[in-house]
Amino acid sequence: MNWSLIFFNSIYTAISAASAGYCLIAVGLNVHAGYTGLLNFGQAGFAAIGAYALAVPIVEFGWPWWLALIVVLVCSVLFAVLLGLPTLRLRADYLAIVTIAAAEIIRIVLRSVRFTWLTGGSDGVNGFTSTFEGWNRDYFFGDRIFKFGAQSIDGYRLFMMLVGWLLVAIVSFLLWRLMRSPWGRVLRSIREDEDAARSLGKNVFAFKMQSLVLGGVIGSIGGVVFALQQQSAQSDQFRTNLTFFAYTIVVLGGLARILGPIAGTLIFYFVMQLTDNLLDQATRNETLPTWLVDSGNYAQVKFIVAGIGLSLLVIFRPQGIFGDRKEQAFDVR
Amino acid sequence: MLVGFSLFAGLLAAGAGPAHAADEYLIIAKVFNRTTDENGKDIRVPVAEVEIIVSLVGGDEVARGVTDASGSFTATVVEKGAYLVEINTEALPAGIVVDAASGVSKEVEVGSGVVVGGVASKTVNLFVGESTRETKSKWSLLPQALANGIILAAIIAICSVGLSLIYGTTGLSNFGHGELVTIGAVFTWLFNQRLGNWGLIPSAIAGIACCSLASGGLERGVWRPLRRRGTSLTSMMVVSIGLALSARYVVQFFLGGGDVFFAIGTQQPVDLGLVKLTPRSLAIIGVTFAVLIIVALFLLKARFGKAIRAVSDNPDLASATGINTDRVILIVWLLGGALAGLGGVFYGLEFGVSWDMGNLLLLLMFAAITLGGLGNAFGALLGSLIIGVFVELWAWAATPDLKTVGALIALIVLLLVRPQGLLGRKERLG
Repeated sequence: MNWSLIFFNSIYTAISAASAGYCLIAVGLNVHAGYTGLLNFGQAGFAAIGAYALAVPIVEFGWPWWLALIVVLVCSVLFAVLLGLPTLRLRADYLAIVTIAAAEIIRIVLRSVRFTWLTGGSDGVNGFTSTFEGWNRDYFFGDRIFKFGAQSIDGYRLFMMLVGWLLVAIVSFLLWRLMRSPWGRVLRSIREDEDAARSLGKNVFAFKMQSLVLGGVIGSIGGVVFALQQQSAQSDQFRTNLTFFAYTIVVLGGLARILGPIAGTLIFYFVMQLTDNLLDQATRNETLPTWLVDSGNYAQVKFIVAGIGLSLLVIFRPQGIFGDRKEQAFDVR
Repeated sequence: MLVGFSLFAGLLAAGAGPAHAADEYLIIAKVFNRTTDENGKDIRVPVAEVEIIVSLVGGDEVARGVTDASGSFTATVVEKGAYLVEINTEALPAGIVVDAASGVSKEVEVGSGVVVGGVASKTVNLFVGESTRETKSKWSLLPQALANGIILAAIIAICSVGLSLIYGTTGLSNFGHGELVTIGAVFTWLFNQRLGNWGLIPSAIAGIACCSLASGGLERGVWRPLRRRGTSLTSMMVVSIGLALSARYVVQFFLGGGDVFFAIGTQQPVDLGLVKLTPRSLAIIGVTFAVLIIVALFLLKARFGKAIRAVSDNPDLASATGINTDRVILIVWLLGGALAGLGGVFYGLEFGVSWDMGNLLLLLMFAAITLGGLGNAFGALLGSLIIGVFVELWAWAATPDLKTVGALIALIVLLLVRPQGLLGRKERLG
C-alpha cells in the first residue's frame, strides 16, 4: 500500500478546484434548502448551465470570456425564474419532483444528438479554457509541476484551485453579510413559518424567487469553476447524483451555516477519495477477496458510502457539524 | 449496399465525484454509411437498428443493444481492459449489408491513460461502403410508436401503482421505488441465469417475492421506526433518496455496468397488420391488464382494499374506526414492492436488466402519478397510459434520445394549470 499517495491524493482531491466548484454548488443549495427551506433538487441543472453557457459561446461563437460569463449569469437567472414560476407555490415533494425533472431536461437536451452542432452531444464541449490557461502562463505558475507530498499538481490546476477557493471565500463572505441583513432574516422566517411571514406583509413568493435566483447563480458559478478545472463541459457530469451529493455536503456541514458547505465539501470529498484510493490499492495488491471486489467494481463503493451517509445524517444528525437542531430545514413542513 | 462502421470509444470518467478514479467508461459505437459526394467530401449517414455486441476480448459479453436514430449505441463498462465491439451480422435490419472486407468488429482499449482530474477520450474509426437502405416514411412508423407507447405505459403503470399507494397511505414520496423495480428484475435474473437456471416464470415469481419482502422489510426496519420518532415526511424523502443512491450502486457493484438479459431466446415478432410485436410484448400487455384489474377489484371490493383506501383518505379517521393502520401500510409496502418487481421483470424482458433501469423509470413514474393525481391509484393508471404513449410519440416526432423530455415538460406544464392532477382532489398545495 502506497500510504503516502493515498493520503496526499485524497487531501488534494478535497482541496482541488473541482471540489471548490462542488463547494459553490453546495453553497447555492444552502441558500435554497438551508436558509429558505426550498427543497431544490435541480441544482445540477444550474451547474450544467454554468458550464455550457461558458463553454458554448467561447467555442462556437468565439465570444470573449467576460461576455460568456454574462451569458452564464443571464442563463442561470432565466432558468431560476422559469423553474420558480410553476413550482414555488407547490408543496415540498412536488417541488422536489419538478426540480429534478427540470435538471434532467437540461442534461438530456444538452447531450442530445439534435443539438450536437451546438453542445457536442455526449462528448461535450472542449477547448474554451485558453484565455484562462494564458493568464496562468503569463502571470501565475506557468507549466511547472508542483509537488504536494506524493501528489503532483500542474500549474493550471493550482491556478484554478486558487481561483476556485477565492470565489468560495468571496461568495461566502457576501452571503454572510446578506444573511445577517433584514433580507436574510425574511428568508429564514419564510423557512420557519411561511404563513407568519405572509401575515407580516412579506411577499413570500418574491422572496422565494430571489432566493432561488441567488442560489442558482452561485450554483452556476460552481459549474463554471468545475468546467474550467476539467477543461471540458460534459453533460453527464451533471446527473442528479451531483445534486444528491450537494445535499450530503450541506447536511454534513450544517444547513444554514456559512462554513457548513465548506467543511462539508472538504470532509465529503476526502472520505470519497480515501475510500476509492484504499480500495484501488487493495484490489491492485489483491488484499481483498477478488470474487467480491476487483478493479472493475471498487469504484462503486464510494457512492454506496455517500448514499448511506446521507440517510444516516438525516436520521441521526440532521444538524450536521455546525448546524442548530432547532433550525434545520427538513422538519419545517 | 454496404455499411460503414465507425467506432468511437469515448472514455469518460462519468459519475459526479472529482473525476480522478474512473467510475465507469462509456463505449460509444457509431454505425454509419459513408459515401462521398461529387466534390469528394465525406458524407456520413447514421444507420439505426443495427445490433451491437460489446464483449471483453476473449471473454464474456458485457453489453448488447441496437443503435438509435443517430446510429450510436452507448455501452457502459466498469472494467478497464480490451473490449471487442462488433455488429451482430445475424440480426441486421432489412436492406443493410455489411462489407466483409472492412470487418464488422473493432477492439478498443478502455481505461488506459485516464488523466487525474481530467477526461480522456479515444477515437477509433472504421469506414467502408455505401448503402441502398430503403427508409420508411415517418407516418408509416406511427402505429408502431403507439404500440411501443402502450408497452411502456403498461410497465410504468405496474410500477407506479405501488408508488401511488405508498404515497397515499404514508404521504412519503419514495424515491427508492425505482430501485425496488431494479431489485425485482435483478433477483429474477439471478434465479433465471445464475442460481437455479429456473424457467422465466418460476424465476419471476421468486424474484417478485424477494422484492416484496425487501420492500416490507424496509417498512418494518426503516419507515415505521422513523414514523414513530416523528421524523418529518421531507426528511424521510431525503432518507429515501440516500437509500436509493446506495442501493443503485450496490446493484452496480455486483451486477456490473452493462445490460444483462433473461434466458428467453430470440422471439420472432408477430405481424398484427399495422404493427409487429414480439410474443413477450403481447404477454406483458395481457398480464398487466389482468393484474391491474385484479388490483382495482381488490381496492374497490375487498375488505382490506377498502381499508387501504380509508387510510389513504384520512389515516386518523381510519385509525379511529379500528383499522390497524400500521398493518395496512405494511401490506401496501408488500404489494407495492411486488408490483414494482413485476414491472422490473417486464422492463427487463423489453429492454434488458441494468443497474440504473429503476432510476430511468423513476421520473416517469412520478410524472405518471402526479399527472393522475398524487395518491390516487386509478389516477396512476391513467397517468401511466398518457405518459407511456406520450414518451414514445415524442420519440417518434422528435429525436429518440429526447424521448423523456416530452413527458417531463408535460409534467411541469400540468402542474402549472392543474396542480392536483387529472383525478386528484383540489387542495392547497403550497
